[in-house]
Amino acid sequence: MKLTDHKKYLLEMCEKVDRDLTSPTCRKLREHLAKCPDCAAYYDSLKKTIVLYRNYDVEYKGSCCKEVLARLDVEQPIQIGIPKRHRPKNPRRSTKHSSH
Amino acid sequence: MDDEPRLINSAKSGDKIAFGKLIRKYEKTVYNFAFKICRDKEKAEEAMQETFINAYRGLKSFSGNSKFSTWLYRIITNNCLMMHRKRSHEPVVSLEDADLFRETGELQVPHWGETPHDAVLNKELKEILNKAIQKLPLEYRIVFVMRDVEGLSTEEVRKSLKLSVPAIKSRLHRARRFLRNELNPYFTK
Repeated sequence: MKLTDHKKYLLEMCEKVDRDLTSPTCRKLREHLAKCPDCAAYYDSLKKTIVLYRNYDVEYKGSCCKEVLARLDVEQPIQIGIPKRHRPKNPRRSTKHSSH
Repeated sequence: MDDEPRLINSAKSGDKIAFGKLIRKYEKTVYNFAFKICRDKEKAEEAMQETFINAYRGLKSFSGNSKFSTWLYRIITNNCLMMHRKRSHEPVVSLEDADLFRETGELQVPHWGETPHDAVLNKELKEILNKAIQKLPLEYRIVFVMRDVEGLSTEEVRKSLKLSVPAIKSRLHRARRFLRNELNPYFTK
């Protein structure tokens, strides 16, 4: 078998490693794995990689609820636009005022 | 009875007790996912808190077209990406498979020995798993964790990350190959 054919199967393995190989769409790959020990070894290692990461568990024992709610309580509402006291005076208005 | 839609509606109207219940329901999921992406307890806690704060602020934009958890995954992912971009300069890594082929052009795949079947992994192996996944660019890591570790469907990942299905598949396949190659020396020594 040509190297390019193996490469093709390697790519297919990456795509189908989380699937059930007994399905009809995986027939060719299944047959290839049965007769190619290198590809079978690769497929096995690919499966084991996923299982290892899936089994690597982390346990969160705390609770962030109080902290998050406290942060939400002290939060100031977001101001949209420029606050009034920083608005520049309307030049036309001030002219009017000065004329009186 | 699932009272999640009611809790979401109450929280949307500003009911913080309802939002607190949503936090309690999802804090483990959010923390675990953030940890699997950041690989650091402090960063994961920070990402979790930011996720809930952002979720509360943006709750009105949650339409209910996707699952609430899918929407949360999107926020966590964005937070992890932002934290990552602020703090690190990611080295460029090659995701190629060159080592699989001998110079002669033949395929060379060493067989792996037994791997631990249970969730109790030894310290050395945990470190190796951590190192390997930390080398993987974050965009690839996120897709791998969502699909293969958390078990989300391609459709859920698509909705969370707003990526095309081919882009998700390409990242997933490359991530799988990369991690497998990184772990290879440990299991074939």
